[in-house]
Amino acid sequence: MSANIYHNRKAQWLAYIGLFLLLALVPVLFDSPFLLNQLARYAVFAMLAVSVSLVWGYGGILSLGQGIAFGLAAYGMGMTMQMQFQDPVSDPVPSFMLTNDLSTLPLLWEPFWSTPVGLALTIAVPTIFFIGFGAMMFQARVAGVFVAIMTLAMLAAWYAMAYDMQPFTSGFNGISPPMPFEFAGVSIDPYSPTAYLICVGFLAALTLAVKLLMQSKFGLVVQAIRDDPERVRFLGYNVAYYQVIVFAISGFIAACGGLCWVMVVQYVSPTSLELTLSVSAVIWAAVGGRLSLLGAILGAYLVNGLQSYMGDELQDVWMIVLGSIFIGVVLFLPRGLVGLIEDALGYFTGKSETETATVAIERTV
Amino acid sequence: MSLLELRNVSKRYGDFAAIDGLDLTINKGELRCLLGPNGAGKTTCMDLIVGRQRVSEGTVRLMGTDIAALSEHQIARKGVGRKFQIPSVFKELTVRQNLEVAFNRNKDPFLNMLSFKNFKGMKRYDEITDLIGLKDRSNTVSGLLSHGETQWLEIGLVLMQDPVLLLMDEPTAGMTEQETYKTSQIFNTLKGSHTLVVVEHDMSFVREIADVITVMHMGKLLAEGTITEIENNPQVRNVYLGTEGIH
Ligand SMILES: Nc1ncnc2c1ncn2[C@@H]1O[C@H](COP(=O)(O)OP(=O)(O)O)[C@@H](O)[C@H]1O
Ligand SMILES: [Mg+2]
Repeated sequence: MSANIYHNRKAQWLAYIGLFLLLALVPVLFDSPFLLNQLARYAVFAMLAVSVSLVWGYGGILSLGQGIAFGLAAYGMGMTMQMQFQDPVSDPVPSFMLTNDLSTLPLLWEPFWSTPVGLALTIAVPTIFFIGFGAMMFQARVAGVFVAIMTLAMLAAWYAMAYDMQPFTSGFNGISPPMPFEFAGVSIDPYSPTAYLICVGFLAALTLAVKLLMQSKFGLVVQAIRDDPERVRFLGYNVAYYQVIVFAISGFIAACGGLCWVMVVQYVSPTSLELTLSVSAVIWAAVGGRLSLLGAILGAYLVNGLQSYMGDELQDVWMIVLGSIFIGVVLFLPRGLVGLIEDALGYFTGKSETETATVAIERTV
Repeated sequence: MSLLELRNVSKRYGDFAAIDGLDLTINKGELRCLLGPNGAGKTTCMDLIVGRQRVSEGTVRLMGTDIAALSEHQIARKGVGRKFQIPSVFKELTVRQNLEVAFNRNKDPFLNMLSFKNFKGMKRYDEITDLIGLKDRSNTVSGLLSHGETQWLEIGLVLMQDPVLLLMDEPTAGMTEQETYKTSQIFNTLKGSHTLVVVEHDMSFVREIADVITVMHMGKLLAEGTITEIENNPQVRNVYLGTEGIH
């Protein structure tokens, strides 16, 4: 009985590395700044999808709040870039603050004078927030749909805060740093191959790290918790501890996405904290296949590609299209698009484990 | 020396006492059967030992230390293994992965991030898969196992933990006669080297494995003794005749 090559670890690693090499070759093959910028954005969305695949697909935690980490990091990066533009002597206060009657730089903004400190905060604040928020939820054994509700409510609270604290965040208008991000003396043009490769580099490094992590004993325990937390608890594991760590790692990944996002769009607004983005990320992962990091990435690229290249007349009804795709996937492709690949490979290389996976999937959600 | 000692333990839900002043002592190396009609409090009793429910009154001691205030995973780490009445295994993981999760001296998440050990050939794994008869199902996703196999796998999980005390809640529930027989053989193999408390309804199974039997009724201890003593105990006969009769 030959096993389905889809389940072969070596083949999986090859597929992952192949995909990232392919993505890294894009700037060599195409000389289009517009395309590079668009694909850099997709890479960022793919990071969000990977964070969803980790927390939901592997961890069984349906978080609708991945945008919290994404958005907080986006603001962190926006503030860092804005302060790179300001001058401590001649022009210490961003202009939107002046128009909002702030004449001195708020304390909250002070650390962002330093780019390294700004970047550290950009990643650390969302991650630490996820540790605290996760500890609160998982210690209390919040699970299932209640996690979805709590993360959603938390997201809404952050959105309202970003929207309302106009003097600090520029509210609805958002922050548009006038200059591209500058690092170690190099200006990173959002349309350059450099910016693109940074995004793909982040995506590749994070994905491969999570892939490796999920192959460790830790990853196995995380998946066991998804199946039956009570059973894991009575085997002697501190389930909440594991859940907090998975949740925090997913927050870290989403934060990296938020950082890269502002680098390639040079703009941050409350839309990063909107429900739409967080729910879309869940849909991308589901469409591609949340039980596979690669699937989640493919989902993010395909769905966003579809949105970009769909006719203008359909853009208005995009959310309806997206919703329909989601319902279709839930009903007919519970393992997402990679489920089709799994079946196809199983057909050619051996069926032994394919059927098993199908049955197994039916249980989750 | 007694391994487990329940003293005057009560568990109340509002006015209703599911466990009412129960005393129970389990010695090292014994196999104790816990018998009683439905609702007698057998499952609740196990829940109190493993920390799934909190005692309203009384003490639970494991090897002399009070464990009533510890959390579930701490009690498990002290060496209490529990098989649930409704079999629970990791349905999306393979048989081998299930047992891998159960086998661990190291529960720290960060250390486990660095652990990629291949499980194959580990002695205990081989012994246990032999014992539960799932050796050639190692790579089967456990959601595909039959009901009986699932029960055995869960027994395997608990054994993999290498506990000092095994609590088995109706391990043969839903099994065919043949499967029940095989299960009794598993238990007889464990006897002596392990300390077990087994809740069971099936009298032929109990006859097959039991040394000492404890009978519970309405949260209280009704009788304790060998199989013949219990079968001839008028009180026990009374309780069981009142329900389904002892068979
Ligand atoms: N969480 C609970 N709340 C209220 N009553 C309960 C609860 N759990 C168990 N009981 C009651 O306690 C009694 C003992 O239940 P249980 O321990 O499951 O019995 P057994 O396992 O012996 O059949 C039953 O009458 C049951 O209805
Ligand atoms: Mg019971």
